[in-house]
Amino acid sequence: MQCAVISNRPLTEGFFHLSLAPEEPMGAITPGQFVMIRCCDFTDPLLRRPMSVADFEPDGSRFGLIVQTAGRGTGMLSHLVEGDRLDVIGPFGQGYNVPQEAKSVMIVAGGTGVAPFMTLAPTLAAGGKNVHVLLGARTKGHLLMEERFLHAGAQVHVATEDGSKGFDGLVTELMGKQLDHMDEPPDLALACGPAGMMRAVATLAEHSNIPCQVSLENSMACGFGACLGCVAHVRGEERYVTVCRKGPVFDSREVEI
Amino acid sequence: MDISVDFSGIKLKNPVVGASGTFGYGLTYEKFFDLSLIGGFCTKGLSLQSRAGNPIPRICETPSGMLNAIGLQNVGLDKFTSKKMPKLRKIDTAVIANFFGETVEEYTELAAKLDAIDGVHGLEMNISCPNVEKGGAAFGTDIKTTEAVVKACRSVVKNKPLIVKLSPNVTDISEFARVCEASGADGLSVINTLVGMVIDITKRKPVLANGAGGLSGPAIRPVAVRMVWQCYKAVKIPIFGIGGIASARDVVEFIMAGATAVQVGTMNFVSPGIIPQLAEELPELLRRLGADSVTELVGAAHRD
Repeated sequence: MQCAVISNRPLTEGFFHLSLAPEEPMGAITPGQFVMIRCCDFTDPLLRRPMSVADFEPDGSRFGLIVQTAGRGTGMLSHLVEGDRLDVIGPFGQGYNVPQEAKSVMIVAGGTGVAPFMTLAPTLAAGGKNVHVLLGARTKGHLLMEERFLHAGAQVHVATEDGSKGFDGLVTELMGKQLDHMDEPPDLALACGPAGMMRAVATLAEHSNIPCQVSLENSMACGFGACLGCVAHVRGEERYVTVCRKGPVFDSREVEI
Repeated sequence: MDISVDFSGIKLKNPVVGASGTFGYGLTYEKFFDLSLIGGFCTKGLSLQSRAGNPIPRICETPSGMLNAIGLQNVGLDKFTSKKMPKLRKIDTAVIANFFGETVEEYTELAAKLDAIDGVHGLEMNISCPNVEKGGAAFGTDIKTTEAVVKACRSVVKNKPLIVKLSPNVTDISEFARVCEASGADGLSVINTLVGMVIDITKRKPVLANGAGGLSGPAIRPVAVRMVWQCYKAVKIPIFGIGGIASARDVVEFIMAGATAVQVGTMNFVSPGIIPQLAEELPELLRRLGADSVTELVGAAHRD
């Protein structure tokens, strides 16, 4: 599927936001689903890059991606300008599933992990849920989307590793403190970010008996269930599940992160 | 233009086939195109019992290619027969069952069972998977065991063409091609992946949990073309050319090297619609090259 680049907006150092308009209808999107992006028309880099859909229009006429320049593929994407075209397939996978009865939701995001919550957090807040968003970044200058979450009516808590803003330390340490101080624990925790962060979030949530959903980022060749490269190990079983089809969002108790 | 080919009795409506391990059991690709548009496909390698596969990470991107060590994860013969075959029988395309065992007995048991399944058009023996401890390449990189396992399977496969998928990780592939032909193989698939490795220099260890993996994609194409060339010189049975095919030009290159048909592997991951696309582009390219059929170009690069 070809998409037209509507805009390419720099965010903080090393991050940018791509806004894309599919040339044919893309279908409904659930926050947490991902698309596979082809970075170039030739064969190096070869594989598509999986990226979580960030903000999007309900009818799928436009969607955004938050990209971190990490290598040659994402470097090529960083140079896209309005009017360029991009080859995209998707959306794929299972997104976050927030049950009606969950009244308070704690979101923990690190780096580009803010992406799936850009639409989800405002939707949950608008639906009357009590939404806490915990954002982790290396420094104040690396924080993403704080304004957007504040504007959406979420309670935003920031942690920076150098202490330049908010809590001085890891976002997972901040989460531990938040859980200690809350009168009632949240009904649900949602996490997206580096594997180490999600592992720590899952451990904290499980200790407090809070159901937790994580979005796995395993290396992926195809994104649609053919390569079997992206699998996750099912906890306590000699079995793997495809992250691209059964995930990327899993209940944290289901798989090894 | 008629671009159909006959591969040892398997009627392919066009010479572009999905390669084993990149095409699931076919059905994965139904959301991208009508499977009846393609020549056929080779299933994920089947074993008697289902297999969980290797630990992760299993894949890693490389220059114009990728490494994989999936470890032959598959649903097993019974589930393939009961869950996949009823759907596949309804689709007008050639289904080639790729299979492997850990012993000669397992190979022959599977071969006999697959030979009896209605709707399976051909069998492709995998004696060349580089990513499992037992079976796979342990058979395909030794000339004596290759001979033994191909003969054993030949003796039980009565109904369907028996194709052997060769390992490129040998000194002289034509020697293996000759032994397969002499042992009764009806065709060859050339090549499986090349063994490779990528090291994570920050962790000071290989990226893949398995250590080594199989290299595939456009990076290996010249190696594969040359091996098809060697096999074509060595045997009379038809050859599937496999290795990094990404365009109609690449299809023709393999055919001129001696392939009767080709299999597309890694590029399915990048462009899931690539096989019907290549089949559609092929007639125009053949015309430009002054050819009226695929068959007349098979081995064309060998002629004076």
